Amino acid sequence: MRKTLVVAMREYQAAVKTKAFIITLILMPVFYGGMIGVQLLLRDKVDTADKRIAVWDRSGQLYDSIVEAAEKRNATEIFRGDAAEGRQIGPRFLVERVEDPTQAPEKMALGLSERVRKKELFAFIIIDPSAVDGGTAEHGPVQYHSNSPTYDDLPEWLAGPINQRIQAIRLERANMDVETVRRATQRVPVSNLGLFSLDEAGNIKQAEETNRVANFLVPMGLMMLMVMVVMIGASPLMQSVLEEKMQRIAEVLLGSVTPFQLMFGKLLGMTGVSLTIATVYLIGAFYALLRAGYGGFFPAEVVWWFALYLILAVFMYGAMFIAVGAAVTDMKEAQSILTPVMLLIFSPLFIWPNVIKEPHATFSVVASLFPPATPMLMLIRQAVPPGVPLWQPLLGFVLVTLMTLATVFAAGRIFRIGILMQGRGAKVGEMMRWIIRG
Amino acid sequence: MDIVEIDNVTKTFGQHTAVDRVTLSVPQGAIYGFIGPNGSGKTTTLRMIMRIYHPDSGHIRVLGEERFQAANDRIGYLPEERGLYKKMKVRELLRFYAELKGCKDFKGAVQRWLERLAITDWAEKKIETLSKGMAQKVQFIASVIHDPELVILDEPFSGLDPVNMNVLRDEVLELRRNGATVIFSTHDMHVAEQMCDFVFMIFKGGKVLDGTLDSIQNTYGQDTIRVRVEGNGFDARRIPDVEKVTDFGRLQELRINPGTDTQRVLEAIMKQGRVIHFELTRPSLHDIFVRIAGPEAAAASVAASVTSVPVPEPAHA
Repeated sequence: MRKTLVVAMREYQAAVKTKAFIITLILMPVFYGGMIGVQLLLRDKVDTADKRIAVWDRSGQLYDSIVEAAEKRNATEIFRGDAAEGRQIGPRFLVERVEDPTQAPEKMALGLSERVRKKELFAFIIIDPSAVDGGTAEHGPVQYHSNSPTYDDLPEWLAGPINQRIQAIRLERANMDVETVRRATQRVPVSNLGLFSLDEAGNIKQAEETNRVANFLVPMGLMMLMVMVVMIGASPLMQSVLEEKMQRIAEVLLGSVTPFQLMFGKLLGMTGVSLTIATVYLIGAFYALLRAGYGGFFPAEVVWWFALYLILAVFMYGAMFIAVGAAVTDMKEAQSILTPVMLLIFSPLFIWPNVIKEPHATFSVVASLFPPATPMLMLIRQAVPPGVPLWQPLLGFVLVTLMTLATVFAAGRIFRIGILMQGRGAKVGEMMRWIIRG
Repeated sequence: MDIVEIDNVTKTFGQHTAVDRVTLSVPQGAIYGFIGPNGSGKTTTLRMIMRIYHPDSGHIRVLGEERFQAANDRIGYLPEERGLYKKMKVRELLRFYAELKGCKDFKGAVQRWLERLAITDWAEKKIETLSKGMAQKVQFIASVIHDPELVILDEPFSGLDPVNMNVLRDEVLELRRNGATVIFSTHDMHVAEQMCDFVFMIFKGGKVLDGTLDSIQNTYGQDTIRVRVEGNGFDARRIPDVEKVTDFGRLQELRINPGTDTQRVLEAIMKQGRVIHFELTRPSLHDIFVRIAGPEAAAASVAASVTSVPVPEPAHA
């Protein structure tokens, strides 16, 4: 154990005492924070140039409503804050009536299309004469034509006034009062609240309104931190082993430590590095939440699970990176073998939105018990109130521990042989043979 | 007492037999030289002694233990392919190895060795700034800093200038004086002759020589004449009963057939010119090495395989 600790201490110091480590430590949150900041900054950076739309209302009943709605929108809905002083954050929709009963419909549509191509118009719509009755036209009662198929703000907006007017006409035809029906069909909001509980005095405690943003952001933040710290902690092990192998340091070391002591020391050292990074960030996050008045949202009850999962994840993924480093002779060779390892690490990122939305669904439970994903997905489920039954993280912990032991065992066998192999990298079949035969 | 006992050990890598049924005993306090051409099995044998490789068959006992750890703190090992962490400072690196080897007063040990090899000025420099010779000194210290009982050095002198070579040679001899047993491999036959109590030669995986230098040379007998003749007219190939001529320029080495009358050889040489030097001697280790592993041996081996005539066994001590 002494030798393992000496190796661990060297690895830890070699990682932590570098400028690169300090820079990474500072740059990571700056980078991620910057990404969020850029998104916030760019949120309002949309094209505010006017969008002119031609309406060929063959029903003769909808044009006025569209114009009225457009004028209202242009006057009040496209500004941040007060319309008079606020900044414009959306384009004005300018509506133009077109009709020429002498022209054939196809020729009319072609002429409008040419105007769109010449950028005189942004789009045009053709409203079928029978639109109010449901329409019989091949492509629907209201057809929207544009040269910007991905821009859906305008067609989505148009659906509003058109449908409102059609509903009103239909109600009038049925001799029903529009306002009465509108009141009768008005939707009511559903408040998202937690559960009632008893306080210490035995009184019933009112359920509190859940903070959707906090309930979503905290688990996501924990998972992102886990992925980031595992990557910072585990991936350098590959370069470190490759360096020792190619610069012939390994054999000198093997005169002093066994391959397993060397590997275990490396894993221990990098686990220390990961815990250091996580501690710095968690303290930073706690302080930031406290300053912002959201101290209660800090997930203190899952922090210990976070540390436990982090240790296991660094050991599990670190062992995989060590095995890759020992099996290859350069970074180019490593890239192809690394792909499945990277996929495993990032696999939770593909499914976390489903897990966070329905943490108790069978899919979420099963996915969070898949050992390579447990440190990230189980953590998410635990961080979403009210958490999960204790048996689930305990079972997850046992499964990850077993997987980690198996990975470390297999990596140890690959490391023992691969670290002294020079000249060519090991093939996958060869590595499997080393694992099985030792 | 034998510090290392190798008993009928074989090691193969795929189809290639790197070490073939080798048996060897290294007595305590000896300096044992491993010689042999490149790829003959020296490093594999040393790695098996270090337990970095495990033999396919046979037994190896080191310091009386068969199931010892390569990382045994009683052994110091300097491999042939050696590197150091480039970004570490010399003192920091030596402390790391001293701690690994369980050196209690590791700070004192590092300072003593830095002073012994006169590299204290480089103690705070990074490894990447060192010259090759300086780095080799650091590697040497790293492998012996814990005063091991057995020191295994794979090509410790390769690439060193004469000054640094003398420094390391003196340190190896000092280790032996302090009671350590030393095994080292070398391609320098002169070094092996000067330093080794015993010489072990491995060729194509098999043991071909093992014993003291005297006993090895005695096996071959006095079959070598070193001669120097004035002028440039001397042609040794015209001398009768000469089996092989090695021309060193100013000196010729003649290997004579067994039972040859050396007086007759001298007379024949004198007929070609004035003799300045004439010495009847045993073959050097270099010559023995070449006889076993050189082109001559390869040719003999081919001839033997063609004519099925048994080749004389190389001498065993």
